[in-house]
Amino acid sequence: MRAALPLCAAVTLVALAATAQNVAPLPPQISVDPQAIGKAPISNWLTFNGDYSGQRYSALTQIDSTNVSQLAQQWVFKIKEVGAQRGAPVPTIKCTPLLVEGVLYMTIPDHVWALNARTGEELWRYDWVDHGGHLVGQRGVGIWKSTVYFLTPDNWLVALNADNGRELWRKNYADARKQYFSTSAPLVIKNHVIVGVGGDAMDMPGFLDSFDPVTGALQWTWWSTPRRGDPALKTWPNEAASDHGGGMTWMPGTYDPALNLLYWPTGNTNPVFAGQGRPGANLWTEAIVALDLDTGKLKWYFQVSPHDTHDFDNTTAPILFDRVVHGKPRHLLAQAARNGFFVTLDRVTGKYLVVKPYVPLDYSSGLSPLGEPIPIPDKDPTVGGSINIVNASNWPAPAYNPKTGLVYVNSVEGKAIYYLTDDSAKPSGYGGTGDSIGHVQRVLQAIDPLTGTAVWKHAYPNLNNAPTTVGPSILTTASNLLMTGDDQKNAIIYSADKGAVLWHHELGSNESGGVITYLLDGKQYIVFGAGDSLYAWSLPQ
Amino acid sequence: MRQSDLSASLIAVCIVVAQFAIGQEMQTGGQGGAQQQTPYSSMTPEQRAAATRAFLGLGAEPDKAAAERGAPLFKQNCAYCHGRQARGATGPNLITSDVVLGDDHGEHLLPFLKAGRPEKDMPSFATTPENQLKDIAEFLHLQVEEVANRGAYQVLNILVGNATRGRVYVASHCMACHTSESFAHIGTKFRSPEQLQRGWIWPTRSGDDALAAHATVRTPEGVAFSGRVTQVSDFRITLADQTSQTHVIDRVPGVDVQVSDPLAAHQKLIMALRNEDMHNVTAYLETLK
Repeated sequence: MRAALPLCAAVTLVALAATAQNVAPLPPQISVDPQAIGKAPISNWLTFNGDYSGQRYSALTQIDSTNVSQLAQQWVFKIKEVGAQRGAPVPTIKCTPLLVEGVLYMTIPDHVWALNARTGEELWRYDWVDHGGHLVGQRGVGIWKSTVYFLTPDNWLVALNADNGRELWRKNYADARKQYFSTSAPLVIKNHVIVGVGGDAMDMPGFLDSFDPVTGALQWTWWSTPRRGDPALKTWPNEAASDHGGGMTWMPGTYDPALNLLYWPTGNTNPVFAGQGRPGANLWTEAIVALDLDTGKLKWYFQVSPHDTHDFDNTTAPILFDRVVHGKPRHLLAQAARNGFFVTLDRVTGKYLVVKPYVPLDYSSGLSPLGEPIPIPDKDPTVGGSINIVNASNWPAPAYNPKTGLVYVNSVEGKAIYYLTDDSAKPSGYGGTGDSIGHVQRVLQAIDPLTGTAVWKHAYPNLNNAPTTVGPSILTTASNLLMTGDDQKNAIIYSADKGAVLWHHELGSNESGGVITYLLDGKQYIVFGAGDSLYAWSLPQ
Repeated sequence: MRQSDLSASLIAVCIVVAQFAIGQEMQTGGQGGAQQQTPYSSMTPEQRAAATRAFLGLGAEPDKAAAERGAPLFKQNCAYCHGRQARGATGPNLITSDVVLGDDHGEHLLPFLKAGRPEKDMPSFATTPENQLKDIAEFLHLQVEEVANRGAYQVLNILVGNATRGRVYVASHCMACHTSESFAHIGTKFRSPEQLQRGWIWPTRSGDDALAAHATVRTPEGVAFSGRVTQVSDFRITLADQTSQTHVIDRVPGVDVQVSDPLAAHQKLIMALRNEDMHNVTAYLETLK
């Protein structure tokens, strides 16, 4: 069961060693203090979201509205050695790179690169030979001390030496033959490597795993659907339906150190479009769940899409922030959910403050006493076709700016016709289809999380529909900048408070991954992936 | 649901086959790429199925001829306990079972079927000819394929509406812009009722200048361009004028852009269309042969 050795990494090692003998720069000596992970990112970017809050906010102010027009490209790293991947004619960078001590770690499915952050030069590359799995995307690596953690399409957690890409160990956590596949970035917290999984072609249950960062030993597993004896089983018709009910943990979650709680979004219910075989709310799919970091035990849940039948995969990050509400300090969480509802919860209790549509929708008859949107059954997929919204958001990261107090999301407005293709009493798999109809418009929104109302919106002009699985992520800074992009290859910087366009630049492809910023040698960089290239920008000098 | 050591060793055998299949796809340039570039609606059902199979990284392709031979054998020997489509009845669902999903072409299923599972009242099929067991295995793999490969899904009979009510809807909602000529023989112009349903709600723009968005652009210097919009962003608009000459205009401050979209009324319709009205209109238009 051993895959081929990462030959390229081994070759690179030899090259590195040779370099070290002749020239001054030594191979990097990466050592990340576990206490530093999750702190506000300044001179590093150590997790998928930069810290544990999911805010994607930087306190850096070197680049601001007065000098943004001088931004200059410093380097571009273009992937040349990897050809077409299954599902992508050219490799597409959908990761958020990590930055550690002058080294950037970047991924696409099956490949990891370490790059010199000053020059964009490759330090090493690790290649995985997959045996199945879906290559739709790869969100990036996790890091802890001198170890980089990478998830493969066929569900291996691979530990690499951060200095040279040499494999330390590997651990398989799900079976690709059951159509489990992995795209996520591991989230490292204390002595836990938290790993989520995807895959909804067959009807399998989602789960979240915690592994020991040194040995790879499994510490705990939380299942997305209830097992025998759990009262939540009453939201399923029977145990078999729950055991095959989906709820994948596609994307990295967030974490509150003070409460020691993980906040994880759970994915779509299975069967996906055909809900007739699973009457009930189908917990804990399509929810935000709060789990104890050390045990994986469920503390509370909020189900954003009870009994989902539209692949309203609840993948968007739950962002953590604190605010004073009616004179009381509150620990809050907000999510621009893929079902079109904006949700603000108390992250201590899971009780809702705001649940409100942020795109035009007409599939809900109101809210339950718990604040859950109540779907209208007529809007379920049917044999003759049923019109409902397209996914209002997706995996591309949203952001929160504590200075403006606003949540930023690239939303999508439009409709699709959903057909039930399996009207049997026991549907399986997707059991239906959903194709957009009419114009599908991407709209950047700045939403007040205390009201759920947009303070400003920017509709990107485009004759074409917004792509379904690629979209720009968002980053904001203390200098009132908001960095994102459109679907016509433009990287764009807006003012965070008003949404005014301050700067744009046409790239070779649409922005396709997470935007990060950091201070290196006294200079603030902005780094992001677009198609097969990683771009680094800063002010001149 | 986690992979046991036993299934890990079983999978090792299968990986050789899977790797070979993936390698072939890579050599043909990645069929999944075709899926992204060619709209699904323009693909043949076979192309959809093949593209999605490659995109999802599904395992060995079932032998359809063998599966067809296996169907009556399954019905006769297995369906009573496992259901007609092997999705479970008194016995377990087989299409999500570890043994079936861990098997490519019977290498694990045949020994399993020969042995049976006496402790769970699953009989042994030791006396059944091996070729028949292989056909049953392929039947099971086809059941998995039909679920896992959503590119192979087919819509059912979508004509569920009331044509008379559809005619009333068209008369009251469409005639401000259209005449009865617009709908003449429309039921013959699409490959399927599903295409008709899509087509009347959101007509295809390509190749029909009357459906294209048009714009008039005025520069600060007072120069005006008019034509069909080929693309527009926050920063640029591209027009093709009446002589098919292309104009690319940067949207710098002072540039005024006015776009008119002949499909704006249809977009408005889509945002408010009720399912019942959609079904009724499709049923009515289908009668206009």
